[in-house]
Amino acid sequence: MAQNSAAPAPAKKKQRKSQFAGMSKALVRRETISAYLFLLPSLIFFVGFVVIPMCMCLVYSFFDMGINFSSATFAGLDNYVEMFQDPVFIKGFWNTVLIVVVAVPTVTAFSLWVSSAIYQMNSKVRSFFRCVFYLPVVTGTVAVTVVWKWMFDPYNGLLNQLFGTKGYDWLGDAKTAIWCIIMILFTTSIGQPIVLYVAALGNVDTSLIEAAQVDGATKLQVFWKIKWPQIMPTTLYILVITTINSFQCFALIQLLTRGGPSHATDTIMYYIFDMAYRLQRFGYANAMGVVLAIIIAIFSAIQFKIAKTDTE
Amino acid sequence: MKMKKLLALLLALCMVFALAACSNEDEKQSDGGDGDQTGTVKISIWTYPIGKFGDAEAVAELIEKFEASHEGITVEHQLLDYTNGDTQVTSAITAKTTPDIIMEGPERLVTNWGANDLMVDLSDLWTEEATADIAATSQSVVDACQLNGAYYEYPLCMTTHCMAINYEIFEQAGALQYIDEETRTWTTEDFVAAMEAIRDSGLVSTPGIVYCGGQGGDQGTRALVTNLYSGTYANAEHTAYTINSAENVQGLTLLKDMVANGSLSANASYEASQELQQFANGTCAVTFCWNASNKAQYAEDVSFTPFAMAFPSDDGQPELCGGIWGFGVFDNGDQARIDAAKEFIKFVCDDETQAKESVQMTGFFPVRASLGNVYEGTETEADAAEFLTLMPYMGDYYNVTGGWTEQRTNWWGMLQKIFVDGMDVQAAADEFVTASNANIG
Amino acid sequence: MTSKAMRNQSLGYKIFVIVILTLLAIFFIFPLYWIITGSFKDNATIIAQTPQWFPLNPTLDNYVKLFKEPALRWLINTVGMAVGAMILTCITAALAGYALAKKRFYGKAILFTIIICAMALPKQVIVIPLLQEMSQIPWIHIDFSDFTTEMATMHDTIMAVILPTVGWPFGVFLMKQFSETIPTEILEAARVDGAGELKTFFSIVFPMLKPGVGALAIFTFVNSWNDYFLQLIMLNSRDEWTISLGIARLQGEMSSDFGLIMAGATLAAIPIVAIFIAFQKYFTQGIAMGAVKG
Repeated sequence: MAQNSAAPAPAKKKQRKSQFAGMSKALVRRETISAYLFLLPSLIFFVGFVVIPMCMCLVYSFFDMGINFSSATFAGLDNYVEMFQDPVFIKGFWNTVLIVVVAVPTVTAFSLWVSSAIYQMNSKVRSFFRCVFYLPVVTGTVAVTVVWKWMFDPYNGLLNQLFGTKGYDWLGDAKTAIWCIIMILFTTSIGQPIVLYVAALGNVDTSLIEAAQVDGATKLQVFWKIKWPQIMPTTLYILVITTINSFQCFALIQLLTRGGPSHATDTIMYYIFDMAYRLQRFGYANAMGVVLAIIIAIFSAIQFKIAKTDTE
Repeated sequence: MKMKKLLALLLALCMVFALAACSNEDEKQSDGGDGDQTGTVKISIWTYPIGKFGDAEAVAELIEKFEASHEGITVEHQLLDYTNGDTQVTSAITAKTTPDIIMEGPERLVTNWGANDLMVDLSDLWTEEATADIAATSQSVVDACQLNGAYYEYPLCMTTHCMAINYEIFEQAGALQYIDEETRTWTTEDFVAAMEAIRDSGLVSTPGIVYCGGQGGDQGTRALVTNLYSGTYANAEHTAYTINSAENVQGLTLLKDMVANGSLSANASYEASQELQQFANGTCAVTFCWNASNKAQYAEDVSFTPFAMAFPSDDGQPELCGGIWGFGVFDNGDQARIDAAKEFIKFVCDDETQAKESVQMTGFFPVRASLGNVYEGTETEADAAEFLTLMPYMGDYYNVTGGWTEQRTNWWGMLQKIFVDGMDVQAAADEFVTASNANIG
Repeated sequence: MTSKAMRNQSLGYKIFVIVILTLLAIFFIFPLYWIITGSFKDNATIIAQTPQWFPLNPTLDNYVKLFKEPALRWLINTVGMAVGAMILTCITAALAGYALAKKRFYGKAILFTIIICAMALPKQVIVIPLLQEMSQIPWIHIDFSDFTTEMATMHDTIMAVILPTVGWPFGVFLMKQFSETIPTEILEAARVDGAGELKTFFSIVFPMLKPGVGALAIFTFVNSWNDYFLQLIMLNSRDEWTISLGIARLQGEMSSDFGLIMAGATLAAIPIVAIFIAFQKYFTQGIAMGAVKG
């Protein structure tokens, strides 16, 4: 069953060649119509609230558009040219990359470690830990963020009181600010992967493991040779949702640092918001959105490419 | 067969939705029709927290009074805060759901929304009498409310932004000797000495916080920097920013040194509202973001005497940054609502009895000279007197310089670069001026 | 290495694991603990220079202050929003996922590719046009104080948050993965028996998809509860806010009045945490099934 999930792409490819094999024209038409009827409710929302806005976004990105949309003027590629000369955008790009590159592997590796540690424990202990690590997710991003803001506060915060670092501004220092954000992102992202891994590890075929152990395989060998391939689909799924989460990290930045100090925590997402809603340059903000969408599309494509080669 | 059923079902669903949408449309139109018949016009007002205009109950009372005397107009009120308010207004503008009336200062009403053709020209409210009355207080108020011959704001009140000290802490630290309680002024040297005395007393976590993060309250840090060595923020014609002048760089350098020796702190994660809260909590001994409105807002939390002071200045002659507040009308394309909105503004600002009360609500001072001292004989007279002392120090109203919104972002960035990243003061100030002047256009 | 040494090592490792896990557990529980206890602390305690680990003089002042705001309304809005998004997403995604997995039709490959590409798209990118759309679509506003209704647009109602959430194609992707596991033979058999498309779906496909729908429901609920960004842009009026937005805006208005903010955070966290702990088994099962099959 697990194999199924990781192989959507190849399965589809095989299908495409033979998709309509052995079907009459009438049947194909019937199937197509009924398929689209099933798809219709979903497509209305998808087209209406994702595809059309995306197209509008693309159109706007070629305009010099301030807060008054009716006085927008065509600007050609100006917004795009400006973007690649905008040091804040470039800084935001690298910060985004940093967050994704640090958060995704740490969350995945760490959740795998925790799950391996707890999945064989007795069920009470296991569900206790699973519950604990899921807690920040259900507490809610904003609630978690505001409590951390309090703990980081230079004058009333718990951290300075604990570490005796009186007056140290965790979120106001470029050296620590982004790591604070990554840390909180980490605590709010880890819950789901742990639940997923615990389930996946529980489903690994035990007869294979026993056989390997009889053959004298070490724990590490058992893990890499037997467990790892079997939990691969889960890993991919976790990679996808964690990447989405990291890319979309917004509340943390808006509530904690507003991209500061000196843009040390500015991500492309936050900069888009800031450009639109504070500096009121909607054309430019949309152009950045288009570029971000392209970056993310490439990212997703790579992930699915890896998924494909891994299972073939 | 089944396919057809499915199709029919979906079609039916679509039609229901479409019908629902249509009937809604009808309802909307008939709603408008009803309105015309009974003559009821619904308008909305959004206010930033300007004194009691930040208190929903107080505004509700005001609206009640207005509705009682103006039959056929109903008013809905919504409160904004300085941290999120700009986002809310911007989002409303893009969604075309702006309120009819908004209460703020010229830097938003005139230079931002007015300049973008979003506001109604209020020239007809500026009668000769009103213009003369306001000009008698200060011509700069009249100038600030207009752009290219159109008035986008009708002002109600004004004040000078100042700072405040924790009187008891100053007393205990022996720092009262450095201030002139009579004129509420102090020199730069006195300021430095006072802050060091407080630092050495160990009575507070930090003597003062230079907040370098985020949204509002920039008037405080601006006035602090420019006054230290009598610099200016923009040139007299308001065509260029001048924060990189020798005087301002000297001031910024002094502040940087004070942060280094612990007689001030600089926090990039702090906004003005957080600094104020720490002042109210007694964590720091001064605040750079003070006025009657803030005093009222934090009154409950304060367990000491906040003593309003002018910003320190080398010659003891402070030039304080003025604040002007009034009303603007968003152009929603409906003449009836625009007229109703104007009626409301007239009622609040020009009505003989209401005008005084409206100004009292703000805790500031009237722009109309004819209103005189609106606090005379009221229980807040003493409070008001404190700020009235500072009114003569009103300096140039430079908030109408072009590219105002962008320069605010640059200002925070500059402070962060100087105080947190340790960038060279002159270089950071030059960078600020280059970037901000580019937007004056 | 003797087997005894190995056992010792593994015992040492086990203790190490337990210690680390316990420390981590404390680290993960602590924020919630600090939120709840903080909400009962008075201002003097909160600004004190030494932390008080447990509120020694508990006070309800923060809650009194909080309920001067329409905080319950915010909570109701949030629940309405999350449940609405959840139901709509589950229905539309189950239908679409099934079609993508089991139907053969023109444009399937391209459609699936588009869905994959759009999945990771952050809403920040499209929020400006979205906001414009929402301010075009008519919708009824209900004033819950006197139950009068008024026609306006979707902007500034929870619908403006629900619809883009439903449009987000992650659910379709997930349901497609689930539907792949349904044996085609069963569908063929149903067809041979003369069952119509809808009947096949509701009597055969949907029951088999149930665990997946459960997973998607939880995922959507939690996600839309936490989707602060859309709420920030779409909801303007105080009465229309969600609880997340309420806390965030309170922080803007009251700045460092941490007691009040923690009271708000408690109100936001407690219902969903309580539901989670009560139904922990279903939560984790649902999500896990999503993964094993998905």
